[in-house]
Amino acid sequence: MTRPGVAGGEGAGEPGAGAEPGGPAAIRVEGVTKLYRRMAPGAKLATLKSALMGGTLTRGLTAEQSIAALEGIDLTVRRGEAFGVIGGNGSGKSTLLKLVAGILRPTAGRVEVDGRVAALIELGAGFHPEISGRENVYVNGAVLGLSRREVDRRLDSIVAFSGLADFIDEPVKNYSSGMYVRLGFAVAVHTDPDVLLVDEVLAVGDEAFAHKCLRRIEEMLSDGRTLLFVSHSLDLVESLCDRVLWLDRGRQRMVGDPRRVVDAYRQSVAEEEGRAHREEKDEAERERGEAGAAADAAAPGGAGRRERRWGSREAVLTGVRMLAGGEERYHAASGEAVAFELEVEAERPLEDFVFGVRISTPRGTECWGTNTHLAGHRPRRLAGLATVRVVCPSLRLAAGEYFVDAAVHSTEGAPYDYWRHALAFTVTSADRGVGVYSPEHRWESAGGVEWEDGREA
Amino acid sequence: MLRPARELVRFRGLLGTLTARELKARYRGSVLGFLWSLANPLLQLAVYTFVFGLIFRPHGGGLADPYALFLITGLFPWVWVSSSILEGSMSFIASSGLLRKAVFPVELLPTVAVLSNLVHFLLAVPILAAALAVGRGLGYGVSGWPALLLPAIVVLQLPMVTGLVLGISALNVHFKDVRDIVANLMTLLFFLTPILYPLEAIPYRSLWWLVRLNPFTPYTLGYQQTLFYGVVPDPTLWAQMALVALVAWASGAWLFERLRETLVEAA
Repeated sequence: MTRPGVAGGEGAGEPGAGAEPGGPAAIRVEGVTKLYRRMAPGAKLATLKSALMGGTLTRGLTAEQSIAALEGIDLTVRRGEAFGVIGGNGSGKSTLLKLVAGILRPTAGRVEVDGRVAALIELGAGFHPEISGRENVYVNGAVLGLSRREVDRRLDSIVAFSGLADFIDEPVKNYSSGMYVRLGFAVAVHTDPDVLLVDEVLAVGDEAFAHKCLRRIEEMLSDGRTLLFVSHSLDLVESLCDRVLWLDRGRQRMVGDPRRVVDAYRQSVAEEEGRAHREEKDEAERERGEAGAAADAAAPGGAGRRERRWGSREAVLTGVRMLAGGEERYHAASGEAVAFELEVEAERPLEDFVFGVRISTPRGTECWGTNTHLAGHRPRRLAGLATVRVVCPSLRLAAGEYFVDAAVHSTEGAPYDYWRHALAFTVTSADRGVGVYSPEHRWESAGGVEWEDGREA
Repeated sequence: MLRPARELVRFRGLLGTLTARELKARYRGSVLGFLWSLANPLLQLAVYTFVFGLIFRPHGGGLADPYALFLITGLFPWVWVSSSILEGSMSFIASSGLLRKAVFPVELLPTVAVLSNLVHFLLAVPILAAALAVGRGLGYGVSGWPALLLPAIVVLQLPMVTGLVLGISALNVHFKDVRDIVANLMTLLFFLTPILYPLEAIPYRSLWWLVRLNPFTPYTLGYQQTLFYGVVPDPTLWAQMALVALVAWASGAWLFERLRETLVEAA
C-alpha cells in the first residue's frame, strides 16, 4: 500500500527498526531539561536581575514561576538517520529543535551536534521586506553561514529550486507567504548541511512544492545527511522517518519504530477526544438539567428549547450514552463492539413509540441509521423510566469523528424527542483507509507482485 | 569582554552584508535614494545656520567663527553617535524573529546600526570638507592639514559607540524602559557636549567641569580641533579618547556577555 505523498519509507517495516541503528551519533541529547520563565507582569526587574546575576533566566525559580518545556530528554540520532518528533501543541517539539539548532540553551543537560546544521524552523526568518529576493538570498545565505562566493556559485540553483525566477528582483514585501517559504527553503537546502532540522515548514507551500521539498530531503538522506523532523502530519512522519519520538507535555513518552509510536499516539489522541466528547455531553446535560424545568414551563408541550432538540416531549430522552469495552466511553477502535444507550422517560404511558439512532460525520454525511420499527420490534407499552440499547458487536466505521442523533418518536414519525448530535465519538483504525466504512478486508495477490514487507499479502 | 570583538571580526563578511542590507533598505523606494545622505546634513546645516547664525547669536561666538562651520564639525559626528545608540538599542526587539528562528551571532545586530550610521556620517564628510574649504576661501582661518587626523578619532570613537550600543541593546531586551531613558539622556547629553558652544565660552567653572567630564566631550573636542581649528589635539586628549573607548567598550561588552544567554528567550 502506498501512503499519500510518500516515497521510500525504508526501515518502517523492518524488524528491529525501533532499535537504535549503529554508526556514529550525529545528534546527542543527554538529560536535557528546558525551563521557561513565566512572564508575570511586574516581574521584569526580577528577570533582569536574575539574568545579570546568573546569566540565566531560570535559576532558583520555584515550580510556579517556571514552565518546563522539556524534561529529562535523552536521545541519540545516528548519522544518516531520519528521526521524527510528534506530539500535541506545546509538547516541546519546537523547543527540542531549537536546542539542537543551538538557538536555545538547555537549562540542564547537554546537546551535541556533529557537523553543520541547517534549521528550517521559520523559513525566511530575517528576510528584509524592502530589498529584493536576490539580495535577500545573499543576506540569508550569509546568516546561514555561506560566503558571498558560495552564494554566487549556488544562486542559479537556488532561484531555480524556488521557482521564483520572474520575481527574484522584486522586493520581498510583495511576495506571497508561499513564495516567501519557497525562497527560504531553497536557500536553506543549498547551505549543504550535515544535519537538517525541519519544523512543520512543508505545510506552507503548495502541493507541488511540498513534494519537491520532500524529494530534496530524501536526496539528502540518501547522501547520508541526518534529519530531525517535526510534524503534525503523522503519515509523513511515519513514511519518512526511521525512528520517531513522541513528546507529551515535555516528556519523552515513547521512542522507536514509527508505525508503533504513531499508532500509540493516535490512540492516545482518540482517548483524549473521547474524554472531551464525554465532558461536552455531561456539560450539555447538566445545563439542560438546570434549564430544563424553566424551559418546560415556558413552552409546555412545545418544541425543545434548542434547535438541536425538538419534539412533543410526550416521551423525553433523559440520557444518551455510548458504551464500549464494558464502560461509558466515547472512542473506539474500528470493529470494536459498542452500544448506544438511550434513557427515556414517558410522562404518561404510550402505546406508539419507536427508538432510533443515526450516525453521521461532522460534515453531515449520513453513515448509518436504524430504529426499532425497522428492526421489526412492535411497541406495546412505554411507561415511566426505561433504557433501550442498540448493540453493535462490530462497528466497522472508518477512522474519524462521528455524531450520533437519538430519537423517540411515533410509528408515523412524529417526534416525541429528537436529539440531534446527542453525542460525538472518535474511531481509530490501524488501517488508514478513507471514507466512512471499513469492512473487514485483506489484500491478496498472485503472479509478478512482490511486497517489501515480505508478508503474504 | 573580548568575545563580542572576536565574533564581530569572525563574522565581518556577514556584518558587511547586513550593513549593506540596512543601507539599501533605508532608501529603497525613495526618489533621491542615497542623495538623502548628502541632503540631510546639508539641510541640517542650513537650519542650524539660520537659527543660530541669524536669530540667536550664541554667547562667545567670537571663539567659533563662522558659527555654522563650528556647529556642523561637532554635530555631524554627534548625529552618527546618537542615531547609532537610539537605533541600536532597539535592534534585538526589531529582529526578534531572526533571533528566535536562526542561529545567529547576536552581537552583529546592534553593530549594524552603528556601522550603517557611520556610513551616513562618512557620506556627510565631503559636505563638511567642502563647507570648510569655502570657509577658508572666504578668509576664515579654519581647518588645515590636521583635518587628516579625522579617521584616527573615528577609529577611537567606534569601539566606544559599539560598546555602549551592545550594552544598552541587551539591557533594553529585558527592560523596555531603557529606550526612553536613553532617548532623554541623549538629548540632555547633546546639550552637555560642547557642540552648540565652544567649551571656553562656558561662564561657570562647575558647569565647565560637568561638560568637560562628559565622556562624549573628548571626541567632540577632537573633531573641532582637527577639523575646525586645524590643530593637532594634545596627547592628553588622545589619551582621554582612548580611555573612554576602552571603558565604554569593556563595560558594554561585559553587560552584553552577562545577558547574552537570555537574549533569545527574552527578545
